[in-house]
Amino acid sequence: MRLTARWPSIASLAPFIPVIAAWWIVTELQIFPRAFLPGPMEVVRSFGSLVYTGILPEYLQDSMVRLAVGAFWGIALGIPLGILVGLSRRAQTALWPLLLFFQTIGDIAWLPILVIWFGYGLITMTTVIVYTVIFPVVLNTVLGVRSIPIVMHRAALSLGASRTRMLWEVVLPGALPNIVTGLRNGLGYGWRALIATEIIVGTSGIGFLMFDARRAGSVVEIMLGMIILGILWYIVDSWILAPIERATGQRWGLVTR
Amino acid sequence: MKNLSIRNLSKTYFDPYAGTNVTAVHDVSLDVQQGEFVSIVGPSGCGKTTILNMIAGFIPYTGGEILLDGRPVNGPGPDRGVVFQSFALFPWKTVLENVAFGPKMRGVHKAQREKIVHEYLSLAKLTEAAERYPVELSGGMQQRVGVVRALANEPDVLLMDEPFASVDAQTRMTLQEELTRIWEEKRPTVIFITHDVAEAVFLANRVVALSKGRVLEEIAVNLPRPRVWDDLNEDNQFKALTGRVLQLVRSA
Ligand SMILES: Nc1ncnc2c1ncn2[C@@H]1O[C@H](COP(=O)(O)OP(=O)(O)OP(=O)(O)O)[C@@H](O)[C@H]1O
Ligand SMILES: [Mg+2]
Repeated sequence: MRLTARWPSIASLAPFIPVIAAWWIVTELQIFPRAFLPGPMEVVRSFGSLVYTGILPEYLQDSMVRLAVGAFWGIALGIPLGILVGLSRRAQTALWPLLLFFQTIGDIAWLPILVIWFGYGLITMTTVIVYTVIFPVVLNTVLGVRSIPIVMHRAALSLGASRTRMLWEVVLPGALPNIVTGLRNGLGYGWRALIATEIIVGTSGIGFLMFDARRAGSVVEIMLGMIILGILWYIVDSWILAPIERATGQRWGLVTR
Repeated sequence: MKNLSIRNLSKTYFDPYAGTNVTAVHDVSLDVQQGEFVSIVGPSGCGKTTILNMIAGFIPYTGGEILLDGRPVNGPGPDRGVVFQSFALFPWKTVLENVAFGPKMRGVHKAQREKIVHEYLSLAKLTEAAERYPVELSGGMQQRVGVVRALANEPDVLLMDEPFASVDAQTRMTLQEELTRIWEEKRPTVIFITHDVAEAVFLANRVVALSKGRVLEEIAVNLPRPRVWDDLNEDNQFKALTGRVLQLVRSA
């Protein structure tokens, strides 16, 4: 499996040019007061000063670590659970109702009780992210496992594969395209849940930066936070998820390009 | 001697929607000697796939028994290799990895495995395509991989269910000629299922005519080998044999 990261090409940046231009024109025309809608240059300047003071790098790191820890556990628990439910009728009977029940509670709805249990720390935030990541991963893994044609299982068994080897050689790769879809959804939701959590219970991070800026009345920093969120997601998607997708499902012809 | 012995085999499917039983295979008996190439031929729906799936151990049988080397068949296993109509190659493995799969699962050592795999790849003229993924191959090449993947595992019996049905006529003839060539070289025991009478006769030492789940007759094919279509197309013995089998299958 070879992963190729692609730098954002001119073509993928082009759509942003008119948006930024329009933003710039609107602010130059002074339709809204500057304090309400700062222009692109002010946001860039604020970015420069927040990097200079070290606040932005620190907050960024905090957010990324939380997302990474949450995503790791979400994946580490979600994929095996999904495979179990996908393969075993008994596991499905036992776990499916629970999965549906807990899925509907929603991530942020856990915050009040988590804060009481764990306080305003990493555990609370990680739990919320794990909670958000795990459901799309489990549900898509189940779907992926079920979508493997029965002839694949038969072919492997006739070639002498044991049940355990089947897991690695057939079930996991066969379900991989769906697992990646699950990851993409899961990380997207997890990212949003993280920001919401930081806004509500955070003491650092990009979500906290935005919330703190609101308290100080700094629209520039709020907009900066929003833009950083978009850019970060773009990076995660195009540098991690899309290359995995290209190297697996697309390469194997299991999903259309 | 590794003989396959099928005794009074039958299969009744239950259709849960209609609530009825369908007997697809009635009291079929068949003996296959080691190194034999047997074709089972019959019209669509006569129970060919059902028989093959029972031998492969994919579905349970409802009557009779299947003995391989004296032992009853119970579930799928590497002693019975299968070539599927839909190829069933692993899309996430290269041609080489597909062919190496069986030996790898059986714990054949890496050096030995590579030797086997390269031998079979060159036998099927696939050496050039070794590093490619199945999606990048034509249907004919995919099924070549399907055949050598099963053969490389050196099964006691090779089961083939209409393996060439989904490729074009010219490619099919090439594949048939290649299969006879490979069979002559390796002498595997083969049960080949088809609805194409000419294909059945061309390949086999013995043709079993099947209709409505019953064996009608077994016909020995003593055509000389190697067999190539250019010789056989105009061969009177070949024509007589196919005519006879066709008549049998159609009259039932
Ligand atoms: N899973 C099943 N449940 C119920 N009936 C079945 C099932 N599989 C096959 N049958 C029936 O058994 C009979 C034999 O089917 P089978 O697939 O073995 O035929 P075949 O000779 O392989 O036909 P074809 O040449 O079209 O592949 C058919 O009447 C079919 O409808
Ligand atoms: Mg069939």
